[in-house]
Amino acid sequence: MNTLDYVVLLGTLLGVAVYGVWRTRGPRDLGGYLKGDGRSRWFIIGLSIIATQASATTFLSTPGQGYQGGLGFVQNYFGGPFAMILIAAVFLPIFRRLKLFTAYELLGQRFDAKTRLLGAALFLTQRGIGAALTIYAPAIVLSSVFDWPLDLTIICTGLVCVIYTVAGGSDAVRLTQKYQMGVIFVAMIAAFFLLLAKMPAGLGLGDALTLAGGFHKLEAVDYSPNLHPRYTFWSGTIGGFFLALSYFGTDQSQVQRYISGASLRESRLGLMFHALCKIPMQFFILLLGVFLFVFYQFEPSPLLYARQSREFLAQTAPADQLRAVEADFARARDEEGRQLQAWLAARRAGDATGAAAALASAQAANARGDDARHRAGALLDAAHPPTQANEADYVFITFILNYLPHGLIGLLVAAFFAAALNSKAAELNALASSTTVDFYRHLVRPNAGEAHYVFASKCFTAFWGLFAIVAAVYAHLVENIVQAANIVGSLFYGAVLGLFLMAFFLPRVRGTAAFWGALAAQALVLVLYYWVLDISYLWYNLIGPALCILFSLALQAAQGFAPKAPAAS
Amino acid sequence: MKSPAPAPDPPESETTGLPGLRTWRAVYWLVAGVFAVVVGLLTMLSRMFS
Repeated sequence: MNTLDYVVLLGTLLGVAVYGVWRTRGPRDLGGYLKGDGRSRWFIIGLSIIATQASATTFLSTPGQGYQGGLGFVQNYFGGPFAMILIAAVFLPIFRRLKLFTAYELLGQRFDAKTRLLGAALFLTQRGIGAALTIYAPAIVLSSVFDWPLDLTIICTGLVCVIYTVAGGSDAVRLTQKYQMGVIFVAMIAAFFLLLAKMPAGLGLGDALTLAGGFHKLEAVDYSPNLHPRYTFWSGTIGGFFLALSYFGTDQSQVQRYISGASLRESRLGLMFHALCKIPMQFFILLLGVFLFVFYQFEPSPLLYARQSREFLAQTAPADQLRAVEADFARARDEEGRQLQAWLAARRAGDATGAAAALASAQAANARGDDARHRAGALLDAAHPPTQANEADYVFITFILNYLPHGLIGLLVAAFFAAALNSKAAELNALASSTTVDFYRHLVRPNAGEAHYVFASKCFTAFWGLFAIVAAVYAHLVENIVQAANIVGSLFYGAVLGLFLMAFFLPRVRGTAAFWGALAAQALVLVLYYWVLDISYLWYNLIGPALCILFSLALQAAQGFAPKAPAAS
Repeated sequence: MKSPAPAPDPPESETTGLPGLRTWRAVYWLVAGVFAVVVGLLTMLSRMFS
């Protein structure tokens, strides 16, 4: 990064943050602070939903996922459109009619106070950890690439976000998300086309796709009914439906984005906008990674993309073993490069047999290169590095630094930070809303004035922001925190979704049965995950609500079914 | 600044304001249809280059 990059980076991030504070200055009531001015149109709502979901990891790591595993990850999003339809048709009108601040108020109105607090507590636990990860995950990659101090990167990013979220509340979140998403889209599209322009001479788009297909990178849809692969059409559509329904329908950080639209129509169209855009957006980010794979078949690539890992390996691994791995890797890469040039020449000459033979040899050489990389990874693990680097996270940033022009480098780094700020601001806003409304106003100070609650909301926003910063600074003490947080999220969403589905669709189930049913389902999900079933985590988004509903119905049947509840029917 | 009271939501049957899509049911079918087309295209891509 040179001076131009730093000017672009700081100018973009600080400019948007300062503009957000300036545009949302002035006093507000609690509704205005937590939900916004109620004038948002569908495009802004849809963009805000996308921005909240898409963290820096989406733009920094997903291309690496496409590079390593191809397009298959796109199936993870297949259930999203159907979840959006159900939320727009059923959840949203009820949320708006009841004029809720948080989704968990619905559980209080429909069931009882303890069920509301259970839903809110599960949300605060998950999202509190999530807010720390939102800044930790990109900070660890970017600080290691640029040699910035990790703690300082986390603190600066976190404080910028806290300042504008505390100052402007929900409106500041939405306003800054609009401009930050603009920065992200411009930067990613520019990177995509520059990558295509930098492909080797003579390699057309059709050649690139054929080559990617030859290395199994374009297997986007897998219809096999096997439950073990993480991403298939069925796990993505069915498990992904319940995951999306839990996240968009019951997670306050998303509910807050769409309940305050100018009208029911605007909120619904915002949800439909997301339903239409999300799969194509993820597809293009993954396709960028697939093209990175093709690009690096013709360009020199390192044994390990993470520089920190390379340096640690050089210092700690037995020299003879490391030299052997490096020599095997270099031989495999040379052979692969030669075979790919032969493949390209055969294609140009119309020699299908020669092209197939060259491609097969290139695939074999590529497998030997991958084997060398795995051996390097094993040497690294044996040396116990201080931080675990996920190789996929470093592929895209390595390309950006080595091949893109200055100015655009700064813009792309700004895009990664903007994505982190987008998600984190929405999370802080939601955490503060739930803490203020579900706990503070409900349990501690039920009869205070509006100004007091706005002040309390600002304090809680700052508290959660500082909590996230401190947790992120100490995150490296917890082994594999990213994986742990993802698993916790997947395992805990199910019971909350079960509660909401019962609130909407099972009017004869009452609070006590729902509360204990949710707790029993949660316990059984944990037992199944840790000791019984070995299946893709996506399936727990189906198992969790199913168990919750089953147990609650059984408990309610034992108590005797009550008359229909009035609230959310 | 006080947040303005939200206007009452129109009834379910009210038109969506979208050309050619007068009911929400039609909008939902369109979204489901686009999903089917996208999955079909992704399947074609997988098969063409496998």
